[in-house]
Formats: sequence, structure tokens, C-alpha cells
Amino acid sequence: MLTDKEITHLTNLSKETRRQILKMIVKATASHIAPSYSIVELLVYLYGKILRIDPKKPSDPDRDKFILSKGWAVSGLYSILAHKGFFDKKLLDTYCDDGGKMIAMTTINNIPGIEASTGSIGHGLPIGAGMAAAMKLNKINKRVYVIIGDGECDEGSIWETALIAAHHKLNNLIAIIDYNKWQSFGRTNEVLNLEPLKAKWQSFNWQVIEINGHNFVEIELAIKKSHLSKDKPTMIIAHTVKGKGLSIIEDNNDYHYKTPREKELLVAKKEGLI
Amino acid sequence: MRNVIIDEVYQIMKKNKDSYFLTGDLGYNTLEKIEKDFPGRFINVGIAEQNMIGIASGLALSGKKVFVYSIIPFLIMRCFEQIRNDVCYHDLDVTLLGSGSGLTYGILGSTHFALEDLAILRSLPNMTIFSPADEMDAKLGIKFSENFHHPLYVRIGLREEAKIHQHPYNFKFGKGVVIQKGKDLVFFVTGTLMEEVIKASKIIEKEKGLTSTIIDIHTIKPLDKELILKEIHGKKVAISVEEHGKIGGLGSAISEILSADKKLVHLIMIGTEDLFIQTIGTRSYLRKNLQFDSKGIVNRIKNLI
Repeated sequence: MLTDKEITHLTNLSKETRRQILKMIVKATASHIAPSYSIVELLVYLYGKILRIDPKKPSDPDRDKFILSKGWAVSGLYSILAHKGFFDKKLLDTYCDDGGKMIAMTTINNIPGIEASTGSIGHGLPIGAGMAAAMKLNKINKRVYVIIGDGECDEGSIWETALIAAHHKLNNLIAIIDYNKWQSFGRTNEVLNLEPLKAKWQSFNWQVIEINGHNFVEIELAIKKSHLSKDKPTMIIAHTVKGKGLSIIEDNNDYHYKTPREKELLVAKKEGLI
Repeated sequence: MRNVIIDEVYQIMKKNKDSYFLTGDLGYNTLEKIEKDFPGRFINVGIAEQNMIGIASGLALSGKKVFVYSIIPFLIMRCFEQIRNDVCYHDLDVTLLGSGSGLTYGILGSTHFALEDLAILRSLPNMTIFSPADEMDAKLGIKFSENFHHPLYVRIGLREEAKIHQHPYNFKFGKGVVIQKGKDLVFFVTGTLMEEVIKASKIIEKEKGLTSTIIDIHTIKPLDKELILKEIHGKKVAISVEEHGKIGGLGSAISEILSADKKLVHLIMIGTEDLFIQTIGTRSYLRKNLQFDSKGIVNRIKNLI
């Protein structure tokens, strides 16, 4: 069980990650701050407490794997990988630089710690399932975690993987939906209603856990429960807020695209993100 | 040809314990030996091709050599983006075994034909395209692929095909093979129409006194540019032959080379037209009807040579 001290530490790390994301995105005049912010607690918890990985041995076959299927939310992942020592923090200052390495989409590109190049939705979960299958077939006792977007559940390939992961009892595959209820053009329930989302994944024979995706206690409980599954892959439906952590951009889909400027940065300063 | 290919894949899987075979619920009565002898390494993923390529990529990213099998349009077209982003972008050791080249599936019609696959896959970086003319080509190619760890597409004719190569030869992807030498014409042929081209060249020699060089272009990508430029030298007419559309296949690839190299030679492209095929029939009937058999090939070119 997480102690108060640990929760404080994770919360501080989340704030620091949001600071870093803001810095990177403003410097590059880039998009995607809101979808990056909604998954910060999930990334911080996974990389802080769960993933059995070693920055000194990024290709060790005996490792847990994390795939960011919603590849455009990469700024937080870069920040956390740098914090963990996978590469020099200075690289973060080159985010989106012409001729640089830090692309605005999750890409292997010689960046240690990235497991798969994503960007078109619906690819990360099938790839993750393939990796989970490889682990089982090779008797490697590790797990694969995949964060997918809620809009991503529109893609047929997600449901193809839902079928096969359950059929082959890939209990070492843990998927998390960043359920911030927005996609590109509108709210998920206005574009293509996903509800009842929990019932859908349950009917596909997945273990399904619903949580507040910004609450470390709930995240911890869900991950623990996923580790207990003997024969089902797990889907954690994480209810999140797009843009969580900077009040002026929260739940506002403009900030899927819009770079924070003076107006937003004033609020960011007040809220301790600068 | 399919059985020879599966046999050679079997041999690779026997030696390489890190190899896997995925099928999209196809290959009934063909793949059972692999399923039986390598149970942990054979996965029928069901009729879900996008997922199949994703799974193959996840396995390959974990260090495996992966074979993926289906009928060509389902294997290549339905999940093209996955081939592009997951397999090619990551440059993975995934071999796509596509059954039913060209008009092989005859009476099943257009949804099962493969007349665009060469065009589509040529556009992908890191993709090697192998289109064997007979069982010897196929056998040597698969054997060669044992130590080849990049995206590979194998275009498979289905059943008994004529024997073109009598003996094994020094095979390499991207290296065309001279089948016969002649003075006047040069045929660049890919796939199982080779048999018809050889017959056609004999008819042309008899009727017009013109002799033909015939080249087996078993690899569409990378193309044997050197051999092609060498063999058109001194020839009045070059003919490309493929059981594939005229758009984007072997003929187009050769045109690209000729124009880039400023070579002036009349290239006659033999391929299907920019039309869905409305005729129904077996492959041999369609080859006759659409002028891909030896008589048809002669007919297409006799007034141009």
C-alpha cells in the first residue's frame, strides 16, 4: 500500500513532469499538451513503481515493456525516461527541433526506452499483444503495459486484439484507456459513443477495472489486481481529465492542438507550473 | 509452388526455434504440418489481418523471425498501414507469404485477384518483393531468406507450375536470371507467366525469325538495374510480362530505370488493363481470354516487332 510519503513523492514528480511538458511544448510551439497531461499520473506510477526496466540495459530481453499507443502524448514519456536515466535530460530541450531526434510522436529513432513507434491509432495494442505472446512463449515472466486513447477504441484493430488476447489468455497484457472523453473533433460520446465501455471489454473476456486515472491509490489497486489475473488480460478504464493539472486548459479540447501562450502561461505560473 | 514454399519454411522453423508462423485462418490442408510439429510457434490469429500484422510486429520486435500467411489481397491490402508502420518503419524480420498471385483464384473473381500488390508494396521502403517463376526459384528464395532479417513479400502461385529452372543456381535477392539468350528481343518476366513467354518466344522465332533473350526477374524490389540495362543494349524492343496491372508493377519499375538512364528502347508492357475483370473463368481460361498465354503474348506484340 502506498504510504502518504510515497503519494507526496509521486504527486511532486507529476507536477515536475507537467512543468517539463509545458516547457518543451511552449519552446517548440507544439500541440498536444492536453492529451499529454491526462496520462501523467499513469506514466509516473508505471515508471516510478512498476516497470522492471534498467536504463543501463534497455535491451535486456527480461524486462517489462510499455507502449504508448496514443503516440502524440510523447512529451511526458520523454520527460519521465530522461528522469529515469535512459538518456541525457538535455535532449528534452531539442523537442521538435529541426534535424533533432525528439520527434513529436513516439518513435524508436535511437532513443533508449521507447519500445515501439506509434502514431496511427490502433497499432500499439496489437503490437503489445505480440510482445506479450513472445514473453509467454519464451517463458519470460514479465508484462506488457499499453496506454491507448479512448478515441482509439473506434478502430477495429483494437477489437481484433481484444478477441485474440482473451482467447490466448494473455494475462501478462495490461491495457489502460485514457478515458478523457474527448477525441479530435468532439466528445467521444458525441462522435461514437463507447458506452457501456466496461461491459464491452468484459464481454470480450477481459478483466476490467474502472478508476480515477489521477488518483495514485486507485491506480495502485488496479495494477495490483491486474497482476493477480491468472488467465485474462486486464483493461483499466482510467477516467481522466484532458489537460489535467493546468486549470485553464482542463477539459477544453482546443488544447489538443493549441500551444499555451501568454494567457495560459499566466495561469501556469500562478499554479506553480513555471 | 505453395507446398514447396511451406516445406522450406518448415525447414527454417525446424532449425530456428525463434521463428513463428501466423495465419489469418487460411491454409487449410497446407499448414497442418507446421501446426502439428511446432505447436507453440504456430498461431491462427483468426480473420483479423490488421491485428495479425500487429502481433507479427510485436513478436519480431521481441527478436523473433515471423512468417505471415494469407491470400494476397487480405494479406497486403486490408492491413497495408500495419505493413507500412509496424513492419517496414521498424524494418522487422517479417516474411509475408501471399497466396494467389495474379489471376490464380480464377473463378472466385476480383476480390481474390492480386493485380495491384506489386505496385502497392513497391512504394514501401525496406520491403523486398520476391516473385518466383517456378518451384526452384521459390525453394532457393525461401532458403536464402533464412539469413535475411528484413521485411519480405513472397508472391506465391498456387498449384503445379511448369519447371523453368532445371538445376539450383547461385540465388540472391535482386539478381535476375538469364533463361535464354537471343539477338532481337528481350523479355523481362516475373512470376509464373514465364512458361508462356518461353513458348511465345519459340512461336516468334518460327514466324518472324526473331530470337529472344528471356530474363527471370524474380525480385521486383530491389530490381536488378544492372542486368536490365545490360540486356536491353542492342535490342530493338523490350517486353515486360507480369500477371499484374500495367500500373506500378514490373513494367513501371523498368520504365523508371529506362527514363532515369535516358535509355531509348520501346518497352511493351504486358499486364492487365485499368479495369476490373468482368470475365469469369479458371486461371488458364482467363490467361487465354486476356491474352496472357503464349498465343496472346505473340498477338500483343507481333505488329510492334
